Amino acid sequence: MEQSLPKRILRDITAVTVVAIFMFPLFWWALTSIKPMYAIFNKDEVVVFDFVPTLINYAVVLLGWSRAEIAIESGSTFGVGGTSSYDSRQTIIDSIIVAVGSTGLTIILAVLAAYALSRMRFRGREGFLNWVLGQRFLPPIAIIVPLVGMYKVAGMRDTDNLFLGYIGLIVIHALMNLPIAVLLLKSFFDDVPKDVDEAAMIDGATRWQTFLKVVLPMVRGGVAAAAVLCFIFSWTEFLLSLFLTTIIRTVPVKITTFVTSTGSEWGFISALGTAAILPGFIFILLVQRHLVRGLTLGSLKE
Amino acid sequence: MASVSAKKVFKNYGDVAVVHGIDLDIEDGSFVVLLGPSGCGKSTLLRMIAGLETVTKGDIEIAGKRVNDVHPKDRNIAMVFQNYALYAHMNVADNMSFSLKLAKRPQSEVDQKVSWAAKILNLEPYLKRYPRELSGGQRQRVAMGRAIVRDPAVFLFDEPLSNLDAKLRVQMRTEIKELHERLQTTTVYVTHDQIEAMTMADKIVILRDGRIEQIGSPLEVYDHPVNLFVATFIGSPAMNLLKGETVAADGGVAVRSGDVLLPLPQTGKVEAGRKVTYGVRPEHLDPVSGSDGIPAKINVTEPTGPEIHIYAELAGEEICAITDERRDWKRGETIGLKPKLDRIHLFDAESGMAIL
Repeated sequence: MEQSLPKRILRDITAVTVVAIFMFPLFWWALTSIKPMYAIFNKDEVVVFDFVPTLINYAVVLLGWSRAEIAIESGSTFGVGGTSSYDSRQTIIDSIIVAVGSTGLTIILAVLAAYALSRMRFRGREGFLNWVLGQRFLPPIAIIVPLVGMYKVAGMRDTDNLFLGYIGLIVIHALMNLPIAVLLLKSFFDDVPKDVDEAAMIDGATRWQTFLKVVLPMVRGGVAAAAVLCFIFSWTEFLLSLFLTTIIRTVPVKITTFVTSTGSEWGFISALGTAAILPGFIFILLVQRHLVRGLTLGSLKE
Repeated sequence: MASVSAKKVFKNYGDVAVVHGIDLDIEDGSFVVLLGPSGCGKSTLLRMIAGLETVTKGDIEIAGKRVNDVHPKDRNIAMVFQNYALYAHMNVADNMSFSLKLAKRPQSEVDQKVSWAAKILNLEPYLKRYPRELSGGQRQRVAMGRAIVRDPAVFLFDEPLSNLDAKLRVQMRTEIKELHERLQTTTVYVTHDQIEAMTMADKIVILRDGRIEQIGSPLEVYDHPVNLFVATFIGSPAMNLLKGETVAADGGVAVRSGDVLLPLPQTGKVEAGRKVTYGVRPEHLDPVSGSDGIPAKINVTEPTGPEIHIYAELAGEEICAITDERRDWKRGETIGLKPKLDRIHLFDAESGMAIL
């Protein structure tokens, strides 16, 4: 429908305003990451663009420059206090391992569960759905103490065994994401008509072949959407990662260590924060071509 | 190719019975249409033949073998679904070759079968297209191609044309019929459209409420409906029905409906004093001018081109007569209607079963 000019202008202004509101923190964060210390902390004025950009913050968190090198580079030791290590290379690797691992595990389990819930009739199916959803009602903090105890007994803390530590964090992130992924994928499976399953069965496919070769490819978009959500949830998860690990440091946990007894390293925090957007962004870029509804288009008569 | 039989087949969903003991024999190579209003159990019966629904009681046989417990994929059948159920992520060639690939047939055979089917169905230019890039009729043809490449013993069609537009439906009807003539594969076709049933079937099975009402060739069920349901379900415009009672008149028997006397052929089979429903198809009512026929007052006329449908009031009921006479039939005019005596149907008023 053609809108009148004032309406169009109003609509565009609204759109731009809303986007600006959401983008501003991101913009400010990225801007802070390339500011020298005097521009971040200035008690007289807010420095917006009036500074010489620097990549020192990135050099510290991504290249592992030492405090001595920073001192030489910036000619000052201001704000370079504390005893923390700011080298975050291992942190990013840890985060990628955990996020990719838990996303993969979640998707494999969720796809199977969602297909069964969508297609098969079995005793307790309704109850199972509610139970799946119920998992999300419980705040993680409520179970954190027994969970740490269980992990300790099972020897799955990273201080006992680094490999099992990764597995432990992957598993708990997967459990956290499983309900939402199952429900999301179930709705996508529900959109694929049962006739398609039946046609495949008559064509000679077993249940497993029907699932793998016919139905799963038709819910590609849903799998991609669920994967993006799981990845982001795992990438940004803080509480469980903090309590369950000591050596493994995911990005959100690592960033909190930049808040030290002698001050918060805003430059490093913003640099790591900005850099940490990138893997998620790349992941979404990779899957976004599948992120379209209507992949079942053409299967049915309209 | 194979015959298909249903022997005392029942189907219940929980406590609800939808098919009540159907007995049906479908000959090898024939084209049988299951016809009935929605909810009559025709699709359920088809799905039981396909193996997509379990049989509550009774037996389904294909080629003389009981298949109740045989998986659909092992029944050697192919099915075309109401909504096509194409594989949206595969192109036309892959849709059609899916079953052959699953059966691990050699690639040369797969290619040959697919190009054979594509040629028959005029799909050759579209083999690399995806279903979303095809028109409704083309998708329908892909669904049929998927069925014919397998060279199955039985084709099952579940209302395949119900969502196509009228013109395409007529065209696809002919194509399906031609396909059957060509392949001579036993075909079971479900529809609620009587025209489809009449034009395509060797044999029509008319179902109501999970029971068979009549089995017969298209003209048999049209000319000799066994009961009121079949009489009204087949034919458009529908058969005219007038309630009345048989009375002795002029040395024979006629039907009195209101104050009108309706003539009957004098076969001697009908006695006077019986409550009946008098049935005559619109094309067997000849409008004549003057006082020759049964008087009726014209309400509406509908010219269809080849003929004119006259809706008129006769004995308090609206009836329809068909004529091809080009004259100015005026609303309110009283005309005479003359039934063709040898085409009259008479049903028992109580049971609805045909007497004549």
